[in-house]
Amino acid sequence: MNIWATFWMLCLIVAGGAFALITLIVMVKGFKDLREMLRELSKKQHEEINPDN
Amino acid sequence: MGFTYIDWIIVVVYLIVSVSIGLIGKKYVGNVASYLVAGRELGLYVGIATLAATEIGTITFMYYGEAGYKYGFAAFVAALIAGVVMIIVGRTGFIISRLRKMKLMTVPEFFEAKYSRGLRLLTGILVAVGGILNMGVFLRVEGEFLMRISGIDAKYLVGIMTAILLLELLYTVVGGMVSIVITDFIQYILLSVATILISIYAINYAGWTNIVNKVEATMGDGGFNPITNPQFGWTFIIWQTLLWLSLHTCWQTTAMRMFSTKDAETSKKVMTWTGFIFLGRGMLPMVWGIAALTLYGTGALDASGIPAPVVNGETLQPIEAMPAMLSQILGPGIKGIVVAGMLAATMSVNSSYLLGWSSVISQDIVLPIRRLMGKQPLSSRAQIFVNRVANVFVSLFLLFWGLWYEVPGTVYLYLNITGTIFLAGAFVCVVGGLYWKRANVTGGYAAMLLGAAGAIIPFFFLKWSENITGFIAFGLAALGLIVGSLIGKASKPGAEAVEFNRAATEEV
Repeated sequence: MNIWATFWMLCLIVAGGAFALITLIVMVKGFKDLREMLRELSKKQHEEINPDN
Repeated sequence: MGFTYIDWIIVVVYLIVSVSIGLIGKKYVGNVASYLVAGRELGLYVGIATLAATEIGTITFMYYGEAGYKYGFAAFVAALIAGVVMIIVGRTGFIISRLRKMKLMTVPEFFEAKYSRGLRLLTGILVAVGGILNMGVFLRVEGEFLMRISGIDAKYLVGIMTAILLLELLYTVVGGMVSIVITDFIQYILLSVATILISIYAINYAGWTNIVNKVEATMGDGGFNPITNPQFGWTFIIWQTLLWLSLHTCWQTTAMRMFSTKDAETSKKVMTWTGFIFLGRGMLPMVWGIAALTLYGTGALDASGIPAPVVNGETLQPIEAMPAMLSQILGPGIKGIVVAGMLAATMSVNSSYLLGWSSVISQDIVLPIRRLMGKQPLSSRAQIFVNRVANVFVSLFLLFWGLWYEVPGTVYLYLNITGTIFLAGAFVCVVGGLYWKRANVTGGYAAMLLGAAGAIIPFFFLKWSENITGFIAFGLAALGLIVGSLIGKASKPGAEAVEFNRAATEEV
């Protein structure tokens, strides 16, 4: 196997591993992020409708 | 192997859940900033999900699969450049950090802040035309994928793709960026699961040693070494580096994610981590393409010595090899998950692109024209309405363009060139505007016009290669900015223009 084949195989392992790992982390922590975003948007909307509160 | 009942159930359940959840976004849309940039409330993890989902579509898998089939492992260099450049942009905050601090909503908005309203309008037109033409081929290519993998008869394809487009349009129009972010999160997870599943199946079926041996036997050293492969070489590497630098910083749909983050620091982190995903976004589908070559590359040789794919006695095009392989190797249930994952990829890209290009039409074409005509700025509600109308207009165009337009050459090439038409000038103008004090309106116009001419004339009329065309487009745009700025008058500071625009877009 030439050196390029070895290099691309290592790249593929890093790329596939990173892809799977980041997906797992995003799956676990992203939901909390999403809820926080929606909460902030609701708050902003409420402040726009009731600027005095 | 066709679609079974269990596959259909998985796909239909995904569609119902995805669209229903997308519609929830409507109740969070207050002003135009919440509609276009989700109120700038994106956190790190959901930011990664929405950026990755936006830039990973079925079309991405198709053109990278085709590249893997035709150029072997050497094609990996394109994925490596895309990922590494993204990580560097994220780590340094080059361009994205400064643009985020300006609280923009679209890329052409910067042109009014730094240069002039007229240049914003010109850039808006070029960005919208180039972007919509770029997106114009998505439906057809995505349809081909679905047809091949599911075995759906070609006569139903137009109806199915129209229905998918309408579903995407529904939640995009109703909830804007908020709906897109919510659906992107689910779609990202599903498409990632599908990507990992396909990779395992493809490598397992074809066998790693067989894959390497097939590339060696078919392409020789050129199948591994991007420097000696005639399709690539140093010109390709330098052009792709420039192209990805501009895509990661100035491409409207990517930039909108950066503008939607909580702050500049979050935008840098989102970009960095998504860079690692981009390595897999390219290399994994390329391996699927190479696996398809290994399993089905037995037909007549083309001019480059690459055998045509033959599946069940039918000779196919290289771009069809990967989905045809998946239809053969995936079993019931798994195929349903994969197709749902690919539909998720399709819908996340299309909805984001619909919003991206329609926002340029509403914010950077319609609004500046009204202002140039001396009309009052539109209210936030009216701006959202204009954007929704633009969304419908873009969708209708896509439907008709996608039905009759045949892509000249490879899809990857077409996408690169339609993007370069505006990216070369836009990137040079943004870099000059942010980092060079002498950059002015004359230089800005020269860069945009020469960048577009540099992409269109050499490629479409002189028939030069895409590598040379890309070089010329970026080179002419840079030359235009430098020479134009040196001979033109200095621009006025743009901070007031940004503030004025902010008042017009958010507080009216």
